[in-house]
Amino acid sequence: MTTGSLLVADLVLAVLAAAGWLGGGAAAAARRRPLALGLAAVALLATFGRAVTVVALARAGWWFAAEKVLVAAPLSLAAVVVAGPRLLRTAGDIRSVAVPLLFAGYAVSAALLVTILHGYPASTSVGLLAVAGVGTATAVSWRFLDARPSRTASRAAVVVTVAALLAGTGLAVAPGAAPAVPHGHGYPQVRTSDEPTRRFILTAGTATVRVGGRDVAAWAFNAQVPGPELTATVGDVVEVTLRNRNIGRGVTLHWHGYDVPNSQDGVPGVTQAAVLPGQEFVYRFRADQAGTYWYHTHAVSDVGVRMGLYGVLVVRPGPPTGLDVTVPVHTLSGRPLPAARVERVEAGVPVRLRLINTDNTTHRYALAGTAFQVAAIDGFDLRGPTPLAGTTVLIPAGGRYDLVFTAPATPVALFVDGRAVYSTGEVSTATGGWPVLDPLTYGAPAPAPWTRFDREFTLVLDRGLDLHGLLPRYAHTVNGAADPDIPPQVVRRGDVVRFTIVNRSQTVHPWHLHGHHVLVLSRTRTAAVGSPLWLDSFDVRPGEVWEVAFRADNPGMWANHCHNLGHADAGMTLHLMYS
Amino acid sequence: MRKAFVVSAALLLVAFALQFILAAVGAFTKPSGDDAYALHSVNGMAVIPVLSLLTALFAALAKAPGRLVGLAVLPLGLVVVQALLAMLANASTDAAGVSTAIGLTLGGLHALNGIIAVHVVVGVLRAARRLGGPVPLGDTRAAVREGEPA
Repeated sequence: MTTGSLLVADLVLAVLAAAGWLGGGAAAAARRRPLALGLAAVALLATFGRAVTVVALARAGWWFAAEKVLVAAPLSLAAVVVAGPRLLRTAGDIRSVAVPLLFAGYAVSAALLVTILHGYPASTSVGLLAVAGVGTATAVSWRFLDARPSRTASRAAVVVTVAALLAGTGLAVAPGAAPAVPHGHGYPQVRTSDEPTRRFILTAGTATVRVGGRDVAAWAFNAQVPGPELTATVGDVVEVTLRNRNIGRGVTLHWHGYDVPNSQDGVPGVTQAAVLPGQEFVYRFRADQAGTYWYHTHAVSDVGVRMGLYGVLVVRPGPPTGLDVTVPVHTLSGRPLPAARVERVEAGVPVRLRLINTDNTTHRYALAGTAFQVAAIDGFDLRGPTPLAGTTVLIPAGGRYDLVFTAPATPVALFVDGRAVYSTGEVSTATGGWPVLDPLTYGAPAPAPWTRFDREFTLVLDRGLDLHGLLPRYAHTVNGAADPDIPPQVVRRGDVVRFTIVNRSQTVHPWHLHGHHVLVLSRTRTAAVGSPLWLDSFDVRPGEVWEVAFRADNPGMWANHCHNLGHADAGMTLHLMYS
Repeated sequence: MRKAFVVSAALLLVAFALQFILAAVGAFTKPSGDDAYALHSVNGMAVIPVLSLLTALFAALAKAPGRLVGLAVLPLGLVVVQALLAMLANASTDAAGVSTAIGLTLGGLHALNGIIAVHVVVGVLRAARRLGGPVPLGDTRAAVREGEPA
């Protein structure tokens, strides 16, 4: 059983236990003996089941089980200890066990709420507030069911509840030591002063574009979605002038996967101010890494990219040879892009398909009709790629795969989520059941460039209630905090840094660090044994733990976030800064 | 307080009716996307929980009989389960984000739980109105029993 399914099973068992105890309590209060006993039995079984899931989760990693061991386990134990013995002596009025059963229900529900609303890391204040909630609810039940407890019991309950409430509140409001991201330092100004050899102008504005036979409202660069394809050759100095015609919320250009100097990274509020209507900003950087990349706005990025403010950036090592096709997949107003394309290709021509996922979620790409190699991922060439056939690749949000093959005499077709996007003729192959390539086992390994790490950071991805803004929100969190309250990660130039990224939520988080490519070390304790993988976008699925490393060689202040941009907007963004 | 109980129960019922309307809005929005259910999410995760909490609170403050307080608390629990079902249904996809049979089953349970919750709220509102109305105290208990779901 994967850790992801364990997390779901544990949640379901917790709900069953809470519903069983509460339902049993209500049934006992209504003097329905068989129902009450049956529901209590369900709750007991679910509690024992949870003991198994929590132990399994703790073995998978403390991050998955922390609050379950520290908060849920003691509360569940209290539930069983209080309710269990009373169930064995119910000879008299069943109503007498109503409050003990309800207490058990409150205890398990409180623990469940801690998991859902707070999650990781377990905190004393939240645990104490849960205890206070259980105490209050129990006292109210005593009163409403006219079940007067003994004087000692009621005094003890009052003391425990009040103490937990005071201590919990005190700890919760005590000033934390979370330093905010230092803004307003002015923006970095360094950029190459070399004379540009490739010049482009991108004008952002609202536009109506035709997708799938329909006119849809979009935000576009140069009135087209995707924006113009920017190409360069290694060694070029690229200059891009960004103008904003009428995007009221501002635009910027972020070079996704291109490790430009910090001042050119295009993150509003961090490396530059957003470009407002009527303004412009000039980006200039040296194209010194070949590969497939893309650009997009980073101002109101979730809406902006979805509305169409993105395009392709391809840097070639030299003059193009053979056929070079870019396939930037996007969903615009619910309709898939690009439109299906068919072209005849002569047998023997070398073909490179540059697959780009510009959406917020993973896409499945299947190439039918030929064997192929994955030549590069996220712009970096793989070492010793072997031929593949009948295999799909899953590309995370923001990720890129380059597939290469020599055109056969028979037709070839690329399917994205089952839709033919590019083909050289009619191909009717069902690709739905094809196995998925695991890049961690593909290609030839090479010795790791580093054996020791100067800095280590752990990022635990979860959801939680965030009360720091004007309105409370159910945020996507990193280590229990949401942007802008996540402390920045501080490194020194030259450090070798290791990230451990843990997903204890129920959704995939495509992780994206700006300004650096990270080397994948392992996924869920299984070492990467294939070609070295230098990625800038990788899917951390529920229950997975990724270990990645990089050398801090590009000074500045870098965004480090989930590339499901809706999640990034909802708090899952932090920053990496150089001291 | 009895009046407040009636009002908040009535508002809760309205919010639930609106929730069904917003679900339909989401289902029929073309093209479909994550945003289609934005209003349904806000109503379900903010408005309904707050109204449920208020209803339970007013039931207790109105000195309603224990059974009715219990009934008034029930929607709160069902709402938590409802949100969890939606989250798990959305999460139960394969690696490329395509729904699975388990996810669709959970989605179906989300609808079923919604129907149950509405029945409970109707029961709460009826009982609250009888509690608040000019009914002799002796009749209240019978009225409350009648208002409960079978």
